[in-house]
Amino acid sequence: MNIDISGARVFFTIPTNIPVLGDIQISETMVVSWLVMLIITGLCIWLTHDLKTENISKRQAVAEMLVETANKFVIGNMGESFRYFIPFVAALFSTSIVSNLISLVGLRSPTADLSTEAAWAVIVFILITRQKIKTGGFGGYLKSFTEPIPILTPFNILSELATPISMACRHFGNILSGIVINALIYAALAVASSALFGLIPGIVGDILAQIPFLDVGIPAILSVYFDWFTGVMQAYIFCMLTTLYIANAAEG
Amino acid sequence: MTVQNLVGLVPWTFVAQICNLLLQMYLIKRFLFTPINNIIEKRKAAADAEISDAVKAKEEAETMKAEYEQNMQEAKTKASEILTTAQKTASAQSEEMLKEASRQAASIKAKAESDIAQEKRKAVNEIKDEIGSMAVEIAGKVIEREISEADHEKLIDDFIANVGESA
Repeated sequence: MNIDISGARVFFTIPTNIPVLGDIQISETMVVSWLVMLIITGLCIWLTHDLKTENISKRQAVAEMLVETANKFVIGNMGESFRYFIPFVAALFSTSIVSNLISLVGLRSPTADLSTEAAWAVIVFILITRQKIKTGGFGGYLKSFTEPIPILTPFNILSELATPISMACRHFGNILSGIVINALIYAALAVASSALFGLIPGIVGDILAQIPFLDVGIPAILSVYFDWFTGVMQAYIFCMLTTLYIANAAEG
Repeated sequence: MTVQNLVGLVPWTFVAQICNLLLQMYLIKRFLFTPINNIIEKRKAAADAEISDAVKAKEEAETMKAEYEQNMQEAKTKASEILTTAQKTASAQSEEMLKEASRQAASIKAKAESDIAQEKRKAVNEIKDEIGSMAVEIAGKVIEREISEADHEKLIDDFIANVGESA
């Protein structure tokens, strides 16, 4: 029994010969990301067409609730002065959650690719650093690395860099572990199924043993935790950390 | 078909995902937050306008109420004034009327008295005349029985005197 867990498939490669970046590979990650963006944007457009000021539809109520929730989340964690972060956090959350849950329809999650989380974490890192420089000035930002004593400078730099790396790896690890566990469960259940139906004597048993009956239904129950719960949780944690780190940077 | 490493950074994917997130941020702002915030703002403005309208209407109603109350007060005062005047006028008039009536009654009484007296006098005179003529007639008849002149006269006078007393 072989279990093959691989990275994203590459559909085609555009040779560019640019150093460092290499050739453009149109991978599963990129294609599914575009699909995710299409889904989110389509949902936004569908939710916000035909808006009214009174006697609103359920659709509009949902849209308003989403906006209010995003407003409350960002303002609650960061304060009123960070209102302009609301679309960013909302985009981060929606992209993350849709990417995580799209694996339920059999597509490969873009978040099961470290490049995705790394990209998000780098944006968040840039925002944190920008906020720190804005709060304490560039000198203050550099000086903060030598505190409380100058000898800790390398550790401070390390801890600064650890922030985006840990954010990216936490999210990626959770989603990847979900994929790995799902693959293991499918394989294990197929083996169990084959062993169970192989007990039936004669040719009937031989034929039934070829069909992994136990793979129907049972993985769905387990995916409630490994896909649904983890997917929602990681999206929430990523956004929570983003807002908290930036709000923290603003306090200096 | 080639596959990428399970754990690894692919530069182009990395760049694409940064662009994707920023683009998604713009799209979500353009298609969700802007329209919803606009509509919430609009609704808030409408609600504010309605509240200010209500406040205005209330103020107007209060002014009207005060005016109405003042008018009512004025009307009451006026009514009681009118009533008092009317009462005064009525009592004066009734007094006048009573006086007039008593005056009239008195005059009527006086007239009636004078009329009665006159009538009485007239009746007495008439009776006197009649009695006179009757007396003359009687006398004429008595004369036939040869009564003296003196008897005659005495008889008449006595008679008249008697009648006058009895009248």
